[in-house]
Amino acid sequence: MAFDKIKPPVSLSILVLFGLILLLLQLMSSATQESSELSAMYSWLLLVNALGSVVLLGLVGANIYSLARQLKKREAGSRLTTRMVSLFVVLALAPAVIVFYFSMQFLHQGIDSWFNVEIDRAMEDALELSQASLDQRMRWHLRQTQQLTARLVDAPETLVTLEMENLRQLSGASEMTLFSRQGRIMASSSINPSDILPSLPDEHVWLQLRRNTEFVALAPVREDELMIRVIVTVKTREPQYLQALYPVPIRIADLADSVEFAFVRYQEMNFLRDSLKLSFSLTLSLVLLMSLLAAIWVAFISIRNIIAPVKALVKGTQAVASGHYDRDLPVTAQDDLGFLVESFNEMTHRIARASAATRMAGIEVENQRAYLETILANLTAGVISFDTVYKIRTANQAAYRIFHVHVNQFVGRTLLELVQSYAELTEPLKSIQRLLEQADDIWQQRIAFLGPNGRQELLCRGTPLFSQEGHRVGAVVVFDDVTDLIQAQKNAAWGEVARRLAHEIKNPLTPIQLSAERLQHKLADKLNDIDAGILQRSTTTIVQQVEAMKEMVDDFSEYAKPSKKQTVDIDLPRLVQEVLALYVLKSGVKFKADYDTGLLMVKGDPVSIRQVLHNLIKNALEAIDGKGLIEISLHRVQKNNTDFIEIAIYDDGPGIKDEQIEQIFEPYVTTKARGTGLGLAIVKKIIEEHGGAIWVDTSRRLPGTAEVSPSVGNRCDKVGAGFIIQLPACNF
Amino acid sequence: MHASVSNKTLLCCFLIGLLPTISHADTSVSKSVEGFGVVVKNAEFTLQGDSYVLSADIDYRLSTRAKEALKSGVPLYWDIHIKTLQQRDYFWNKTLVNTGIRYRIQYHALLNMYRVRNEGAGDVTNFSKLSAALDSMSTIRAFRVMDTATYASGERYAASIKVTLDRDALPLPLRPIAYVNPQWYLSSDWTLWPLTK
Repeated sequence: MAFDKIKPPVSLSILVLFGLILLLLQLMSSATQESSELSAMYSWLLLVNALGSVVLLGLVGANIYSLARQLKKREAGSRLTTRMVSLFVVLALAPAVIVFYFSMQFLHQGIDSWFNVEIDRAMEDALELSQASLDQRMRWHLRQTQQLTARLVDAPETLVTLEMENLRQLSGASEMTLFSRQGRIMASSSINPSDILPSLPDEHVWLQLRRNTEFVALAPVREDELMIRVIVTVKTREPQYLQALYPVPIRIADLADSVEFAFVRYQEMNFLRDSLKLSFSLTLSLVLLMSLLAAIWVAFISIRNIIAPVKALVKGTQAVASGHYDRDLPVTAQDDLGFLVESFNEMTHRIARASAATRMAGIEVENQRAYLETILANLTAGVISFDTVYKIRTANQAAYRIFHVHVNQFVGRTLLELVQSYAELTEPLKSIQRLLEQADDIWQQRIAFLGPNGRQELLCRGTPLFSQEGHRVGAVVVFDDVTDLIQAQKNAAWGEVARRLAHEIKNPLTPIQLSAERLQHKLADKLNDIDAGILQRSTTTIVQQVEAMKEMVDDFSEYAKPSKKQTVDIDLPRLVQEVLALYVLKSGVKFKADYDTGLLMVKGDPVSIRQVLHNLIKNALEAIDGKGLIEISLHRVQKNNTDFIEIAIYDDGPGIKDEQIEQIFEPYVTTKARGTGLGLAIVKKIIEEHGGAIWVDTSRRLPGTAEVSPSVGNRCDKVGAGFIIQLPACNF
Repeated sequence: MHASVSNKTLLCCFLIGLLPTISHADTSVSKSVEGFGVVVKNAEFTLQGDSYVLSADIDYRLSTRAKEALKSGVPLYWDIHIKTLQQRDYFWNKTLVNTGIRYRIQYHALLNMYRVRNEGAGDVTNFSKLSAALDSMSTIRAFRVMDTATYASGERYAASIKVTLDRDALPLPLRPIAYVNPQWYLSSDWTLWPLTK
């Protein structure tokens, strides 16, 4: 942050740079003026400006390169920058190029207009005129000098110097010298007595003189002094040369000088015409190039500054799109963009709050759902919900417990599909399906079917579900296994009947028996043999029937009274062994016992359990009619997280008819000729009072007997029957 | 992307457009074919009294462009750089004397003459022919360079001479071209020779 404060602002740097560029360009432009002191530095200025252009070009190039890379990476804001820069460049370039083109044209035409044939000719004519004027003067001086030689020819050698002085004064020459043929100075006279050494002609002059005998030429004696040098031959015995130097009048010299200067200047300009155009074009191009490049560079910087908040916005938007609401964009300026950024920040804050609220609501809903699911799962009643086309949506744990089918695994399928996999559930499921399809209101139905544990009775209650608009959106079926409840009701009813019977019937039986015996005792002696025989038989019948009735009533009272009188730990294998010991002596019957290792203990009344075993074994013995095999097995099983001891008793008798299986445990249901039909009812009652269950095992068929049975209809020999008892095991 | 391409292309076109104007048309005429340039043919130091004097012969051959310029009245300035160096093995050579002669040659249209002026001495000589004018510049005789006192025995000395055309003295519009066009590359290389007592 401190570093940022020390740094000069970009705009200041740009201003300084622009100032520098303008100064350089101005200097170069000034240097183009020949007279300027800067002209000596022209080359350097040109070089510096060219270098400046190269540097600017590099800057612009670097910017373009970085922009191209950003574009390639599809960086935020790069496309907008490109568009703005291109627009700026086009806007800046177009007028600049047009101005440049016309300036160049104007420049070239302007320079060309300085030169034309008339001026060219006038210049040459002027020079020629000057030359002609001087030429005329030279010829005149030549003639004059030639005339003077005549006086020298006659002059004696001693007087030559004097004569020369006269001649010089006469002719107006500034210097007069007489040379011998070999070029030796013989006599000399000068207007300036201090000039001891006269001006000597060079070899070139001598060469020309020997060829032409006379020589006349303009001689610039000193740099800006013109003289007419005339040399003529003095025709004496030994040829001599007279050199006379005539000054050109100052006025004429000035004029000639002026003409020459103008001519030379014009010639020079004419020669430099192309170079001049080039140099001006170069300066102009450099000015244009530099200002354009600088403008483009500055455009890059300013556009980058303008785009910065947009870039931040784009990045912020991307962050929001990907679910990050915690990004706070910096507000750099208090302009429209700054306002936009502020609004964006406000928006993200709101979204963040809304999203947090939604998330909380979602968690709440999820908790609620989990709560409901837990409750549903722990309900004893099975609950299955359906959608509009009666496909299963949810099913709870109790549904499995009741149907013994994982209904959960059939979510998204109909009950009829379930039927295909579980044929034994055909009846209840079809009933429920039919009721679902038909019912428009809450319905209730009792459905009975044969489950794996015997006959089961369900109380089903269905509720169609409707949306707020009144459309049907599905249904819920709640069902309860009421088998035990109904059984309990039945048992209670039978118990009451038995108790009443015992009470109402047993009481008159003893007087009946006693009365019959009394009749027999009193009347036997008083009757004849025939009548006595009849009486004997009748009373015997009465007594026997009363005994039978007493037995029957005892059975009823047995059934009616509670069986679980005391509770102790019973070692089942031992108990079974004891009971079997009473039967093993019976010839023709084979017993087979099979026990799990370890303790097989149950809690219960040993007398009742013993009775259960007696009843079942007696039942089996009666079924096999004294010949055959009886198997008893004891196993430890686990059901619903509870340990049970399973007692299974199988015989290889004729088996039980299917239609009897459902009612076999109810009182007065028997297949046998004798018996009250209370044996199995009492067994069931005892087992249930001990918290266990008993059912007919329909799955088991004795090995080797299954093939014999099918053709003989329902009742066939040797299909065998089996009972399974499950009693809660003692856990130590 | 499209924008940056157009941007680059425009700049390139602009720069390419400038190039032919800078390098002038007659660059193709090479220096060697035309045979122009200045060569120091021979140069030597001789002892004259207690001074070393230089005698040198220089061959000036002007390019067509230079002759044209001269004929159009553009004065050409020539610098004859003369240096004596003390040669050192592990250091830069030490310059003992750095002197020179500067000539100006210019054409005078009125007189149809070439005027050579020694800028140092101020001598002016006129020649009706260019070759004669150049000849007058090419011969250097008895140019006093340094005293013998400067010369210490046991050291190695060298003398060098170079003739350059002063391009910065050309008329301004001609200068950029003179730096680019080989026709104006008239300067000689340094001629270096050991100096013995």
